[in-house]
This record gives sequence, C-alpha cells and structure tokens, in this order.
Amino acid sequence: MRGMAWRLFRRDWQSGEVKVLFFALMIAVMAMVAIGTITDRTHRAMGEQSSEFLGADYTLRSPRAIEQSWLDKGREGGLQLTESTGFSTVLAKGDEFQLVSVTALGGKFPLKGEFEIADKPFTRGQNVQAQPEEGSVWVEPRVLAALGAKKGDEVDFGSIQLTIAGVIVGGPGQASEMFNVAPKVYINEADVERANIIQPGSRVSYTLFIAGDIQPRENFIDWLKPQMNKTQRLTGGKEGTPALQASIERAETFLRLASLISVVLAGVAIAVAAGRFSRRHYDYAAIYRCLGMQIAQVHRLYISQLLIMGLIGSAIGVALGLMIQQAIIVQFADFLPKPMVPINWAPVIAGGLSGLVVLIGFALPAFFQIARVSPLRVLRKEMVPQPVSSWLIYLLAIFTMALLMWWQSGSLKLVGILLGVALVAFIVIRLMAWLIFKVGIWIGKRGSTAVRYGLGQLKRYPAFTISQITAFGLAFIIMLSTVLIRSELLSEWQSQLPDDAPNHFLINVQPSEVPNLENILAEQNVETAGIYPMVRGRVTGLNGKPIEEAVSEEAQNDGSLRRELNLTWVEDVPKANEVVKGEWWDNAEHQPDENGVYQLSIDQSLAGRLGVDIGDVFEFSIGGVDVKGKITSFREIQWDSFQPNFFMIFEPGALDENMATYITSFYLPLDKKPALNTILREMPTVTIIELDVIMEQVQTILDQVTTAVEFIMLFVLLAGVAVLYAVLQASKEERVLSATLLKTLGAQKKFIRMTLLSELALLGIFSGILGVIGGEVLVSVLYQEAMNIEPVLHPWFWLWVPLIAVAFICIAGWWGLKSLLNQPAHQVLRQL
Amino acid sequence: MNMMLTTRNLTKTVKLPEQSLTILSEVSLTVNEHDSVAIVGASGSGKSTLLSLLAGLDTPSEGEVELAGRPIHKLSEDERAAVRAQYVGFVFQSFHLLPGLTALENVMLPIELKEEKNPQNKAKELLVKVGLAERLNHYPHQLSGGEQQRVAIARAFASDPKILFADEPTGNLDTGNGEKIIDLIFNLNQQLGTTLVLVTHDDRLAERCQRLVRLEAGKVVEDSVNPAQVIKTDTTQEDKVETA
Repeated sequence: MRGMAWRLFRRDWQSGEVKVLFFALMIAVMAMVAIGTITDRTHRAMGEQSSEFLGADYTLRSPRAIEQSWLDKGREGGLQLTESTGFSTVLAKGDEFQLVSVTALGGKFPLKGEFEIADKPFTRGQNVQAQPEEGSVWVEPRVLAALGAKKGDEVDFGSIQLTIAGVIVGGPGQASEMFNVAPKVYINEADVERANIIQPGSRVSYTLFIAGDIQPRENFIDWLKPQMNKTQRLTGGKEGTPALQASIERAETFLRLASLISVVLAGVAIAVAAGRFSRRHYDYAAIYRCLGMQIAQVHRLYISQLLIMGLIGSAIGVALGLMIQQAIIVQFADFLPKPMVPINWAPVIAGGLSGLVVLIGFALPAFFQIARVSPLRVLRKEMVPQPVSSWLIYLLAIFTMALLMWWQSGSLKLVGILLGVALVAFIVIRLMAWLIFKVGIWIGKRGSTAVRYGLGQLKRYPAFTISQITAFGLAFIIMLSTVLIRSELLSEWQSQLPDDAPNHFLINVQPSEVPNLENILAEQNVETAGIYPMVRGRVTGLNGKPIEEAVSEEAQNDGSLRRELNLTWVEDVPKANEVVKGEWWDNAEHQPDENGVYQLSIDQSLAGRLGVDIGDVFEFSIGGVDVKGKITSFREIQWDSFQPNFFMIFEPGALDENMATYITSFYLPLDKKPALNTILREMPTVTIIELDVIMEQVQTILDQVTTAVEFIMLFVLLAGVAVLYAVLQASKEERVLSATLLKTLGAQKKFIRMTLLSELALLGIFSGILGVIGGEVLVSVLYQEAMNIEPVLHPWFWLWVPLIAVAFICIAGWWGLKSLLNQPAHQVLRQL
Repeated sequence: MNMMLTTRNLTKTVKLPEQSLTILSEVSLTVNEHDSVAIVGASGSGKSTLLSLLAGLDTPSEGEVELAGRPIHKLSEDERAAVRAQYVGFVFQSFHLLPGLTALENVMLPIELKEEKNPQNKAKELLVKVGLAERLNHYPHQLSGGEQQRVAIARAFASDPKILFADEPTGNLDTGNGEKIIDLIFNLNQQLGTTLVLVTHDDRLAERCQRLVRLEAGKVVEDSVNPAQVIKTDTTQEDKVETA
C-alpha cells in the first residue's frame, strides 16, 4: 500500500496534467527561491555599498567624546571601531587662508569602502584604508587651489605645521555633505593635541565609526540605543543614499510582486491541472472503493501523491532557483558589490515551502474530491462526486494568495488592493469574456466557412468556452501587465538618471563671477541645470507670531526651522518642480504688497510637516534683515534629480542680490574634468562638489536592479505559459472527441484541421482582446494606487497581444492534438 | 446450505423534480453459498441497480440486504467497503483495470487491501491460472480486451471472495473471447467454491448458471432453477471436497 502512491505517481507522470502540475510548481518555487535569494543578497550587498558612502555600517555622532565604556563594549564584541574628532579651523600657507572642516582620525578609515588619494587634483589616485600619518594632512582639491599649494607643501595648522600628503578624490561621506561650505581635510588624531587647537568653547563633534559582522554589530547597536541621549545621533548604512532609496524600494516591490504573480499564475495552472487530474481519477477511485478501499485510504493515496509531487517539485524548484541565482550573481559579478554576501537560507526555505503552500491551496480541493466519488461509478459513469463547495475552493485559494502576498510584500495595504482588484477583476473578466464571446459570435456570423465552423465548435459548450477565454485572458492580462510595468519602471529610471544627469555641483559662486563662469562652461559646451542665487536665512515667525508659538511642538523640531535655510528667487518654475497647489507668480513686475510681503513658494511636504497653507505669511531673518513671504503655491519637488532644489523660493526682488552666492549643477564627462582647474584658478572661492563617482555607483545599482527586473519577467512569462498549457490540456479531450466524431462521420482531414485551427484562433483573438483590456485597466490601477505613476495607454500592444495569443494558442493547441488526430478513430476513443 | 445473500422487499426509488421513479420494487431473493445466479432482463429493467444494491455499492430506499450475514443496508460507506474487501469480487463489462498499474499490480491490489502476506506470489499464481503468465508486467493498454478481462477475473478472485459479482462480463468482447471468459469464470468459480451473481444479456452465460432471475420493470417475474447445472455443480463440489 505504501509504495502504491509512488507507483501511481510514476505512471501518472506520463499524463499531461501531472507534468503541468509539476512544471507550474517548479516555476513557482524557482521564482520564489531565485528572486527571494537575489533580492535578499543584493539588498544586503547594497546595504554594504551604502555603508561605503558612510564609511562604516553605522556612525554615532556626539557633541561630547564617546564614552570609553561604549568603546570597550564594542571591541569586546569584535567590532571595528574608529573614533574621529571633527571641527572647523583655518589652514594657512603664507598669506592665504582657507576655512576647512577637519576630521581627525583616531584609527583606520574608512571601515567600509576606501579613500582615493591622488597626487594632483582631478586625477585618479590610489585606494587606501588608513589614517594620515602624524604630521601630514589629506585635503580636498579646492584647498590646494585656495592656498596655492601642492602635494608636499607645508601648511600652518594651529601651533604646528602639517605636510600635504595627498589629495582626496574619492571617499566616504561625499554625498551626504555636499553643501558643506568648508572643504574637508583629514589629519591624524595625535596632531590635534599637538597643535593645541581645541580650546574650551570650540565647537567640536565626535564621531564613532562602527563596522563588523551583522550579529555582533546589531547586538551592539541594540545595546547602544537605550544609552544614547538626545544630542547623539546614530546613522545606519541604509540611510547613506537617500536619493536611491525610492528607486530601489520600487524595484523591490516590483520584484516581489512579480514573483508573487508568477506564483499565483502557477497556482492557477496547478488548479486547472489538478481539476483535470481529479476528473480523470474518479474512475480509478471508484474502482478502489469498489475493491473495498476505505475513503480515508483513498484520501491518503492521493494526498500522498500530491505530497510526493510537492516535495520533488519543490526540491527541483529550489535547486534550479539556486542555480539560477548563482548564475546571475556570477554573470553580473562586475556590477555587484564585492565580495558578494553569502546566501541567507531563509528565503530559500521560504521559497520551497511556498511551493507546498501553493500546491495545497490550489490543488488540495480537487484532490480531496477524488475519494468522495461513489463506488457506484463503476456501473454508472455519470456518477460524479458531490462537488466540494466552490466557496471553499475559492476561499482556500484566496487565503493562500493573501498569505503569500502578505509574506512577500509585507504590506497589508498592497494585499488588500491586490485581493480586491483580483476579486472584482475575476467577476469583470468573466463578464467581459462573455461579452467578447457574444460580440464575436455576432461578428463571426459574417465570416468565412472556417470561422463559422470554429464558432460553431465554441458555441456548443458556451460555459466551457467562456471559462477558457477567462483563463487564457487572465494569463495574458498578467503577462501584459508585467511587461508594461517593467518597461515603465525602466524608462522611469533612465529618465531619472539619464547619461547626462548633473554630476558636479558648484556652490559659493559670487554674483560678480557668474558671467565668467557662464563663459567658461560655454567654452566647454557644458550645459547647466540653471544658475540659482542662494541666500541663507532663518525662519523667525509665522502670521505675525514667533515661530515657536505658531507651530506645533513636533513642527518646531523640524530641521527646516532649526537651521538656516537655503533660499532663492526665480522667475519661472524650475525643472523637476511642479506646482501642485496655488499659483506661480506671473511675469509681471515683482512688487511687495502694501504690507511689504513678497510671494513665496514652498515644498508641499514641508508645508504638510509645518501645517501651513496658502496665504500664510512667513517671516525670515536674512543677514539681520527681516523679509516676509506669503505662501502662494506648493511645489512637488523631484529631490533625486541631481540639480539644485529649494524648499522655499521667493519671487524675484524679495531678497538682496548682494548677499547671494550662486549655485549650479552640470554634467561634466571625465575628459573635460581639467575645466574644473580653470574654474578654481579663476574663482578660488568657488566650491566644487564632485558627484561623478557616486553617480557611477548609483548607475551600477540601477543596472543590477534592471537586470533582476528583466529576469523576473521570464518567470512570469513561464508561469503564464504553464496556465495556457494547462487550459489547453484540460480542454484537449473535448476537442479530440469532437474531431474524432467528425472523422467517424466521414469529414476530410483538411476540414477537421480547418475547424480546429479556427476554433483555437478564435479563442486566441477573444482572450487576446480580453488580455489587452484587462491589462490596461490593471496597469492603470497599479500605476495610480501602488506606484504613483501617471497612467498612460499602450496602443502598440493592442495589436500585438491578440496576435501573440492567436499564434501561441494555435501552435501549442495544435501540437497537443496533432498526434491524436493522425490515429484511427477507435484508438483515439479508447484512450479517452 | 448456508445463505450467502438475502434480500427482503428491496426497493429503489429515485426522486425526480415532479414525481419519484421506482427502479426496483420489493425484490426478495435468497442466494445460497456456492450458488450461481444469472440476473437477466431487458435494458432498464433494473438489473444493474439490483447488482449495485446486492454488492453494497448503493443503498436501497426500502428493504434489507444481508451479505455474508452482514446487514449492509444499515452500514456506512466505509463499513460496506470493508465488507466488499472481505467477501466480494467484481468483474465488469468494461474491465475497470487501473491503467497506472501492471497486470500483476492490478491483481495484487485486493490482496494488499486485505493485508495478506506475499501478495505477489498469489497474484502471479492467479495470472498463471488465467493464462497470462507471460504478461505479468504489461500495462492494461498493452493488453487486448480479452486479456484485460482475464486480468480483471484474476483480480476478482485474488481476495478469495465468498461471492463474485459480474456485470455483463462478456459485453465488450467478441464471441470467441467471450466464450473463453465464460469458461474461465465458471471454472474458477467451481474450483474455488465461490458464489456467483451475474448480470447479463448473454443467453450462453445465463445457461451456465444454476438459477435464473428475470426482472421486468423492476420486479422479479421469473426465478427458476436450471436442473442440469445444479447437478453438475453438486458433483463438482463433492469432487472438490474429496480432492481437498
């Protein structure tokens, strides 16, 4: 008895539906494992990468020296810790002075990533992980320009002299501190005391850089957090690259969704195949019952078969999934961070289990049905088991889907949307299938003989035909949506980070220098994103009240009210900004109103945080002068556009031009980098911020995410094919039967072929149309609800999807039927 | 002689939307151990329904069925299945072999269900008896109709049934194969001392039985004894006792 399930499974393997079940299950598991593992590994690897921006896994910033006990605790845990002291001071060489931001390193740095130290500015240098030797200093390029110094020169630092040992061309912290006015220099901690430079009252910050293996590191962080006070700030690796965060999160959502969709599609294929399997096994179960098998024994027999299938299918799926993810990791090793993090087994196990969950959720009701057949069926073929309540089947399937969705997306909102859409969609899709079928019949009446015969075939079993159109249509809807969403994501990223996205910022440009700067850039054919004036000012009041009284306690702590804001004025709405409420000023003369108030445009999300609305009046203190601005518009700002963006923009005329410095950003290819030397020579006070290295890293991350997205599509398409194949399989018998009947009645082969192909082609057209309509609707909903993208139509696909549907269904359908049609009628009938 | 099968006022009605239809009406029969009974009648006379009730595949609307002393009209599905496993063998018109199992595995199945030891040896023995020694490991689709029915017969006898039910066992076979199958059923029946209840249209088959029950519109209209067969069987029984 025990071996019987295995024997039966081996024999049933020959039948199509077991292969479909198996194939679908394998795809589901493969997708879950491969995607789960790849996203997990790249996610963690990207975490590592962004740690490089930070120079460590975590940084702890504190206004007082870090407590020795914390250092001891961290080192006990085997963590790498480097302390640093940060302050501002002046470097001098002869008569030249430059305010610099000093980081005095107490040990090796960076802990994650490397410094790139060169001999000359704007050249490639050597990668190092170290601290400057005592008596030496590493400087940013503009320090050299400002001091007129070069490598090897000595500069005054407090009471001692330091030798310039290298120029920093790359390293941690370059992105987060781009608006740091003073250039950075790194020295050895020992020189701080020697230079006697820190006096009581000096503004000093202490930073602890923390790195190490996940477990001890997270333990340490968990231990640390409760001990920290409000003045201390802990920054984790993930926050190192805010500009990328949105893109990566969106990509991950897409990947998870896609893997989920391939699982759900596989589930549909499994359900269809299991239904057919169970119908074919009613006869056998009746014989078992007739021979005296108990119901429970029959259950056990079939559930064991299901489990055998599940275990083998999942095991193969896991193996293939792992192979695929390894192949991807090896193939794209150049794009991926090195060394790649090892596999975490959680997503692998989860993927394998999901196979069993899907199998149980989608196939169990059908399998459970088998043993319920009456033994009387051996005498009366028409006896079919009391159907399991279809509610139960749907509920189990929906519950399974919800469980998987929740597991994958971690978002109940997304699960709700998807389930709601799925439920409504199923009803609507079935209705649409019905409608398309009816319209098709009406139009087809006027068609050729072949079309009319094909229609005749479909009309014989309308309910079955509508089910087929629904199932095919569903597969096409999902496949189309996946393709569309993927294209949308990719093009969005490309437009977000085009090849010529600005990779250099210039700040501190004096008003008098603007024409000269424009000339230099024009000579090099460099286009800027606009040159904006910038004035720093503090918000002091709102609607006539001091700001502390005017806004909520929470809003008072908002960064924008606690520090000086960068303010600007422009005539027109800047690129990457969109007015979402109120109105932008028109181009008339800019005059304050009778109360001396100018128009002001504010970032929408800042307005939300501060709780202000159109018409509210802010008071600013700008260089000791009070300026009032009345909010007349809210803007939505694309912060990751790599161009100067401002929370608050005044209308022209409000701010004193003489107090402004200018800021701009532009794309500068590597071969034009020497132009920066020209700029620094002619305008030594200008600050250049090089983002090209970071941008390269950003591009790399996007590339690797793109690859993953492309790849995941394959899984969805494969799962879609499994559904199509399962439905074709399930409807094969009816098709063969009617063709054989025609043959028995003396129809010519050619006629039978024509009828069958026309029937298949019509199914293709109907389901293709359904796929297009449903796909467009689903994508619009997902764009708006889940991804915040403006929905658009895709007319190009309106032709292609039905054509592909016809081609696929005809070829695959014909392939399955061909061999049977060539056999003599009585043999065919015996096999059914 | 012991009674193997008894029915009292066996009635089967099915409810239709407008009325209820009586398929079998107050059938009372007694079948003794080692008897062979042919149930004959036109299509729709209720033969198959009677067979399904006698074998416990279905339950009566009214009346009682006792099989090997068990009141199967009172038993649950699973209890009836247990009775079938213990006492009953079947041969069907359309063979009903399990296509996923070889000839040998098909015959082993009922033995395994009774949890007897060495199912393989016994199954082989039976297949040799039905002349399929060379076909043990063939799958049903690799066998001819006649061969498939012989496997089915071997399977029917595999569980040492007290009673064998046969539903038109020759219905799907040509005359030549039909003859062979009839011989096989009766020979084995006699050798193994099984009680035989068969439903048939086939006069040749009915003639080989000791008793003939004719149904018309769900009622027994004839219940006669075939004297020639009774004598023949009795002698065989005695022979068997002597040789045993």
